[in-house]
Amino acid sequence: MSGPNEDNTQLSSHFLGDLLDSIIVDVASECHRIAKLGLDHNLEEEEKELRLSAQARARVADPSNSGETNNKYVVDIFGRTHPSVASEIFECMNCGKSIVAGRFAPHLENCMGKGRKARRKVTRSSTAAQNRYSRGSPVSTYSPYSNSTSTNRLSNGTPVGEEYSNGTYEEP
Amino acid sequence: MSSKINGQVSPQPCPHLVDFRSRNGSKPFRALQDCIRVKPPGGRAAIRREPSEVPRCSTCEESSRPRLYACVACAAVSCHAPPLHSHASAHALSIPGHEIAVDVDRAEIFCCACRDQVYDRDFDAAVVLAQTITATATTSTSGSTAMQCNVTGSQPENLRKRRRVDYRPWAPDSREHVIIGNHSIPLHDATNASLISSTELPWGLRGLNNLGNTCFMNSVLQALLHTPPLRDYFLSDRHNRYYCQQKNGAINGTKNSRLCLACDMDAMFSAVFSGDRTPYSPAKFLYSWWQHAANLASYEQQDAHEFFISMLDGIHEKVEKDKRKSQSPGSGDCCIAHRIFSGILRSDVMCLACGFTSTTYDPCVDFSLDFEPNQGGSGKSSSAKSHNSCSVEVDCMGSNQNCGISTLKSCLERFTRAERLGSDQKFFCQKCQVRQESLKQMSIRKLPLVSCFHVKRFEHSSIRKMSRKVDRYLQFPFSLDMAPYLSSSILRSRFGNRIFPFDGDDQDASNELSSEFELFAVVTHTGRLDAGHYVTYLRLSNQWYKCDDAWITRVNESIVRAAQGYMMFYVQKMLYYKASEKQDAS
Repeated sequence: MSGPNEDNTQLSSHFLGDLLDSIIVDVASECHRIAKLGLDHNLEEEEKELRLSAQARARVADPSNSGETNNKYVVDIFGRTHPSVASEIFECMNCGKSIVAGRFAPHLENCMGKGRKARRKVTRSSTAAQNRYSRGSPVSTYSPYSNSTSTNRLSNGTPVGEEYSNGTYEEP
Repeated sequence: MSSKINGQVSPQPCPHLVDFRSRNGSKPFRALQDCIRVKPPGGRAAIRREPSEVPRCSTCEESSRPRLYACVACAAVSCHAPPLHSHASAHALSIPGHEIAVDVDRAEIFCCACRDQVYDRDFDAAVVLAQTITATATTSTSGSTAMQCNVTGSQPENLRKRRRVDYRPWAPDSREHVIIGNHSIPLHDATNASLISSTELPWGLRGLNNLGNTCFMNSVLQALLHTPPLRDYFLSDRHNRYYCQQKNGAINGTKNSRLCLACDMDAMFSAVFSGDRTPYSPAKFLYSWWQHAANLASYEQQDAHEFFISMLDGIHEKVEKDKRKSQSPGSGDCCIAHRIFSGILRSDVMCLACGFTSTTYDPCVDFSLDFEPNQGGSGKSSSAKSHNSCSVEVDCMGSNQNCGISTLKSCLERFTRAERLGSDQKFFCQKCQVRQESLKQMSIRKLPLVSCFHVKRFEHSSIRKMSRKVDRYLQFPFSLDMAPYLSSSILRSRFGNRIFPFDGDDQDASNELSSEFELFAVVTHTGRLDAGHYVTYLRLSNQWYKCDDAWITRVNESIVRAAQGYMMFYVQKMLYYKASEKQDAS
């Protein structure tokens, strides 16, 4: 004969068992419906994508693979090489001077009266930071988790492998 | 195995169900409607003759079995507990015509002879209607009866249904051939490539010179130059820069030309697709863009995604406004940028007290994705801590080998999951007239032609006043099916995946292919937050190319799959033609 405590334990396990059974059937029923209605028809394709991605990462991580060349001193598919600083020369559409392509942006910045040297009042860092974190363009991205005003900005600085400075550039 | 009616998959019924329906029609299922009890808000449906009924198996008096079935013909309740016994099956075998029963706790039809759950459209409709009436949901845009609810009503204002037309291929006849020949210049591939035959290289593949820290711009431009609908738009002369400048009274000469980013795009398309393979300098474009986005005009760190948004905005603003057309971005009628990239998002907020749901629609030009909050270093599931009472963060895929990897699909799943707005975020319920805790759920009402996914790799900590780049790998597929994230799918799953035409279901033609997307461009960022480099990978004729400023090289697709994506561009696999709205269209 089991005592009252043992009965209670047995009873609670019994109830727990019933609850678990019920939940399992809930899930089974839902999955059954999804499968029968064809709502999961892409499962195989998804798994294939994941597998290919894992294989790709393994292949790329393998040091024996030549992988992609990161430096710019390579021949492109047209059989050409290019200097690290673009050497094409054209006329600035603002002032008419002849500018080397690779130095065009810093020239234009000055030329148009924008940028660090041109700006008088506020410091660059505060304006830039303000602009970055309070972007509110009319067609802005829908950001479901934007709980702060910070946006996601990734900057490009000096291209990898380059040596020239990040400052403004004096015209030649 | 199943058939599609109105885009709804309807599985083939078992012979007993067929038999039952032919004898009784759908009357018994509709009669069950009175017995459908729904636990608000938005809860599951159960079958009870009286609200307080406790169903018991008529054979063994058990009420605690996980499955109890009520015979649809005679309402006898029996249990089904294989492999021990099934009083439900016994009932079916003993009385012919009593094979069909209904699960009293789950409102699912069961064939006791086949011993399997079966599905019936009319029954599902009855359940959905019962759930709807209980929720007494009305749209936020119009006052409506209890029957018209967020299930079937509430079309976003911007979405006009236009009849789909069949594609008819066109080829010029002999007269048109002559006209084309006389008014155009043949394209020659100017490359003397010795290594690769020039005819093998796709048109429009051309390097872009870095003008000084402008790889953020080059990377996005490369993606746009090869965005199929955008490329087709400009190459078919839909925005003629000469005509546009002339029409708007521009004086000849670059300095005085009227600012129009679309004109500059047109010039760039012409140059890039001309056959000339020497790297192109997008100087004029930079100049125009800096005039448009004055606050971004500086030779300093720039963000590619920010440039992308700014550029679309620029094209939108400068394109001539047609008074007849809707100017709202959602419809896509305002400009080519929105026609291609603009989609519509649907937001449902359901009051947890009364079930009233408020629905709003907003346009979006891309999708910004967050990583899951940082989990522990181990690859195991981090579901131990739940981040809110309603959901559990799991960063695990179904297949074991991918535990711990973030994926694009998991980001979308999180984006569309039901999120509980807790006590600190109470929403004003129009029905209760007080602020209540609610459940919010996002879904995609209308997919854009081209979906751009932006990965938020920038973390800014306001506490520590510093920012860092998130280098975590995000898996992205080459083929992406967006169907599970559509409003119709989300709504359907909210109602238990019943067979029912939910809001958003495309009533005309097959909807299968219009939610399938193909990857065609990936913008990646390498390096640090303040000193990094953007590169774009393009997929042309199923071959991947790396566009690194002026350098175009061929790469294996593994490189792309393993790359750290920052912006991924997908295009709809199947583009449908809608009937033209123009009067004179033939």
